[in-house]
Amino acid sequence: MAHIHLGEGSFPLWALVLWTLVGAGLIGIVTYRIRKGGIETGQIALAGIGAAASFAVFQLNLPVWGGIHMNLTGLVGILAGPTLGALIALVVNVFSAALGHGAVGLLGANTLVNASEAVVAYYSFRALTRMDWDVFPASAGAATVGLSTGAVLMGAIIVVSGVNGSALPRADLTVAVAGLVGLNLGVAVIEGLVTGFVVRFLASVRPDLLALGDRGEPAGVTA
Amino acid sequence: MERWKQYASLGALFAVALAAGLWGFRATGGALPWAKRSARALQRGLDEGGGALVDLGRGVVVAGPIRNGGLVPEFIGLVAVLVAVGIALYVYAGRRRGGAA
Repeated sequence: MAHIHLGEGSFPLWALVLWTLVGAGLIGIVTYRIRKGGIETGQIALAGIGAAASFAVFQLNLPVWGGIHMNLTGLVGILAGPTLGALIALVVNVFSAALGHGAVGLLGANTLVNASEAVVAYYSFRALTRMDWDVFPASAGAATVGLSTGAVLMGAIIVVSGVNGSALPRADLTVAVAGLVGLNLGVAVIEGLVTGFVVRFLASVRPDLLALGDRGEPAGVTA
Repeated sequence: MERWKQYASLGALFAVALAAGLWGFRATGGALPWAKRSARALQRGLDEGGGALVDLGRGVVVAGPIRNGGLVPEFIGLVAVLVAVGIALYVYAGRRRGGAA
């Protein structure tokens, strides 16, 4: 569920420019790789459905851990692959910011956070299935690792940037952010379990979507 | 890898993540919605708090900025459009695959 929920003007201008440039650079690389490597039509369909599910879940506040939302970016990464997963992270964040959930100025930072979740989840899932793990533990573990990576990246971005209007010294800010990251790790377990059940179900009814029949390369765009 | 080793590894990962989550939950104010928790932690630092980890009475609600901004119809409309596009792409991909075969 890692997502920087700060309002407009919370980050200094240099940080906004930096994270926007890095985010734009990531999307540029992803777009180039998709254009160069191409995408199977089925992957585009999965990406469309993944974007819809991720966007809908993104906006629903669940009554656990005090009130949190899920992202499903781990699931999206496993199903659609790392490059389409990064693009879905951008699309979901743009629509969310348009509705006021997340600042427009933080689109670059939030896209980086959520794209890292999809990318790490995909490669973790691929690594675990190559080690002959079953689908459920592989997908649940990969999603948890991916979401944890996103949470740590979210914390790093906040600490590096600093927060306008916060009187906390950088060391205290780092400890406070560590608490927020810690909570995100707990949420990652819930999302990891949900991802595990969904991928396990898909593997039983549509194994072609995951290309796990021969324990080979899972689906997704590696370009 | 043997199945028990897979699940033991997954259990260890979950245990570490849940321990971090419990510490973060208590250290950042306890049972608070994320936006309030985040704002308080970043402005005032760690602030111990408690409360229930699960509060089913609160139910599943649309995120505060959308709910308070009166944008729930737009949210539902966007979800409907995305679902329609996703299903259309799925059907298109199926027909294309069928045609190719």
